[in-house]
Amino acid sequence: MSRRLAVLLLALLPAPASAQAPDAATILRRADRAVLGETAAYTLRMTVVRPGKPERVVEMKGWKKGDDQGLVRYTAPARERGTAYLRSGESTWLFLPAAEKVVRVGAKQNFGGGDFSNSDIFRLSLIKDYVPTLAGEETVEGQACYKLELKAKDRSIAYDRVVYWVRTDGSFYPVKADYYTLSGKNLKSLVLSKVKRLGGRPRPSLLTMESRVDEGSRTLLEFLTIEDDVKLDDRLFSPGSLERGE
Amino acid sequence: MTLRLLAIAFRNLLRAKRRNALAGGSMALGTAALVIASGLADGITRQLSDNLVAVQTGHLQVVVRPDDFQPQNNPFDAYGQDPLPDAEALARRIEEEGRAQGVVRAVPYLFVRGNAVAGSRSSVAWIVAIDPAREAELRAAHPAVAGTFLPEDDDMAVYVAEVAARKLRVGVGDAVSFVVQTPQGAVNSLDAVVCGTFRKGAPWYDNAFYVTLAAGQRLVDWPGGATNVKVLLTRGSPRAIARGRRAVEAAVAAASPRPLPKATRVRVESYTEAGRFSWAIIQANEAALVMLSGFLFAAAGVGVVNAMLMSVRERTREIGTMRALGMRRARVVTLFVLEGMALGIVSALVGALVGGSVVLSLAATGIPMKVASLAWMAGGDVLYPALEPASLLRAAGSIVLLSTLAAVYPAFSASRLEPREALHHV
Repeated sequence: MSRRLAVLLLALLPAPASAQAPDAATILRRADRAVLGETAAYTLRMTVVRPGKPERVVEMKGWKKGDDQGLVRYTAPARERGTAYLRSGESTWLFLPAAEKVVRVGAKQNFGGGDFSNSDIFRLSLIKDYVPTLAGEETVEGQACYKLELKAKDRSIAYDRVVYWVRTDGSFYPVKADYYTLSGKNLKSLVLSKVKRLGGRPRPSLLTMESRVDEGSRTLLEFLTIEDDVKLDDRLFSPGSLERGE
Repeated sequence: MTLRLLAIAFRNLLRAKRRNALAGGSMALGTAALVIASGLADGITRQLSDNLVAVQTGHLQVVVRPDDFQPQNNPFDAYGQDPLPDAEALARRIEEEGRAQGVVRAVPYLFVRGNAVAGSRSSVAWIVAIDPAREAELRAAHPAVAGTFLPEDDDMAVYVAEVAARKLRVGVGDAVSFVVQTPQGAVNSLDAVVCGTFRKGAPWYDNAFYVTLAAGQRLVDWPGGATNVKVLLTRGSPRAIARGRRAVEAAVAAASPRPLPKATRVRVESYTEAGRFSWAIIQANEAALVMLSGFLFAAAGVGVVNAMLMSVRERTREIGTMRALGMRRARVVTLFVLEGMALGIVSALVGALVGGSVVLSLAATGIPMKVASLAWMAGGDVLYPALEPASLLRAAGSIVLLSTLAAVYPAFSASRLEPREALHHV
C-alpha cells in the first residue's frame, strides 16, 4: 500500500529537468518545416468564405524552393485556370490569362481574394523575419503547445508581432498563429489542423486563416498532395515562365 | 461714311424680312447652340478644376515622383505615392517665401490606399490624412450630409464619403477599422469613429476617407510624413501659376528635401499637370466643342452665302442704279459686307440671349448625370453649366465674323455687275 502511495506521489510531482523545453529558435525552426519541406511540389484547394456570399473554391498546383521562391497555378475552376502567382526574391507577380498580362503585386496584398496575403503563402519561414521568445506552455485547440512570442526584426516585416503555438509532443506541428499589426491589433488568426500523412509523413494539412477585423471572413487552404525534396529548376520561378505556362 | 453705310445695311435687312429672318434665325440658333455647348463645357471644366484645386492639388503641388513616372490616367495620379521628407517644414517655407508671389497657403497631406472594414463588410479605402484647420477649400468642396466635418483634434474621427459609408453600412458614431501597408512594408491598422459623411458626386471620391494628419501618420508609421504639399494661390490664372511656381520651386530647391526613395525626385506640378485625368476630359470636351462649332459654322455659313446671293440677284437693278450714279465698286462691296455683318450682329444678339438664358436656367437647377460614365466625365453626379462672359463673346463674335466673311463673295459678285447690264435686268 505504501509503495503504491509512493508511486502516486511521484506521479504528482513536477516533471524532471530532463523534460525541459527546447529553446524558442529551435522550436520555430522545426515548426517552419512542419508543413512543407525546403523544396516541395503540392496541390491544394482554397475555399474563401465571406458572410452572405457563396463559397469560392479554387484548386491549385504549387512549387516551392527555399523560402523565397514559389509558384502557384490555378487548375480549377475552368474560368480561372492558368491564373498564377509567382514569388521570386522580394517580388511577387500575378499572371492573368484573360488579360495575358504579368503584373507585379504587393507581398502584403491578399492571395486570390482570400484572407492569406501573398507573403503568408510564399514566405512560410518565420525564423528569418522574427526574433522568437518562449512565453510558456498552453493548451490550444485541444493540444499542449509551446507559446512563442515573435517580434519582427524590423519595420518592413508584414506583422509586427506574432503569437505562435507549437505542439509540445515532439512533432513541432504549429497549431495556431495570431498576427498583430504595428498598432497592436489582432488582424487575423491561423489554425493548422487535420494532421494526415502526405508525401510520406504526417503533417497538418488544413490551414484556416480567419480575419479578426472582417467578421465572418475566413479562408481554408487544404493540402491535397505534397511531395518533398523534388528537383526544381530555377527557371520555373522567373516571370517569363508565368506567361509560358511552364 | 462707313457708319452711314452700316446704318443703310441694317435698314436693308428689313427689305427681305422673310429671307433674312430664315438666314438670321439659323445663325441665331447656331449661336444659342454654341453658347449652350460652351456653358456645358465650362461647367465641366469648372467642376473638374474646382475638385482638383480644392480637394487634391491646390493650384500647385509638391510631390515625390519616380524618375520613370507614368501617369495611369486616373484621378489618383495627382496623389503622391512616395514619402515627401519634412513636408511640414517645407510647407511653412513655401508659405513664407512665396507670399509675395501670391502663395496663400501651403498644406501638407498624406494619401494612402488601404482597406476599410466595418463588421462583416469591407471596402477599398483611399485614406487622406489632412490638417482640418487648414483645409477650408476641401471642407467647402465636401459639405457634410450627416454629422460634421473632421474635428481638428480628434485623431479617432473619420469623415467618410456617403457611398463608402453605405457600402460599409455605417453612419455617424459607428466604428470603422483601416488596414494599410506602411511604406516600410509592415501591416498597420487604425480604429476610427465616423464623425460625418459627405456627398461629392464625383465617382472617384466614393471611396475617400478623411482622417487627421496625426492619425494618418500613425497609421503609416511615419511621424511628420506627407505625400503632397498643396499650394493655394491668390489667383488661378496661368500667369499667376507661373509666378507662384517659380517661388515654390525656389523654396523646394532651398529646402532640398532628403532622403528621397531611390530613383525619385521632388516635383512641383500645376493642377493641370497633376490632374492629367481631369485635364484630358476637359481637352476632350474642348475638342468636341471645336468640332460642333465647325459644323454649325459651316451650316450657318451656307445659309448666309445663299441669303446674300439671293439679295444680290433681287437687287441687281438697284446695284446698277447705284453704280450709274457713281458709286464705286469698293463701296458696293463694303455695303454688302456690312449687310452680312449686320445680319450677324442681330443673329448673335438673339442667339446669345436665348443660349445664355438656357445656360443660366440649367445652372440654377443643375443637370443630373444619372449614368456613372457621365458623372465621371462631368466631375459630379450633377452638372452645373457655367455662363462665362469670354465663352459668350467668343460664340457671338464667331457668328458675326462668319456672317461677315460669308458676305464677301456675294459682295464681290454685286460689285462686278456692269451698270448698263444691271439696269436692263428684269
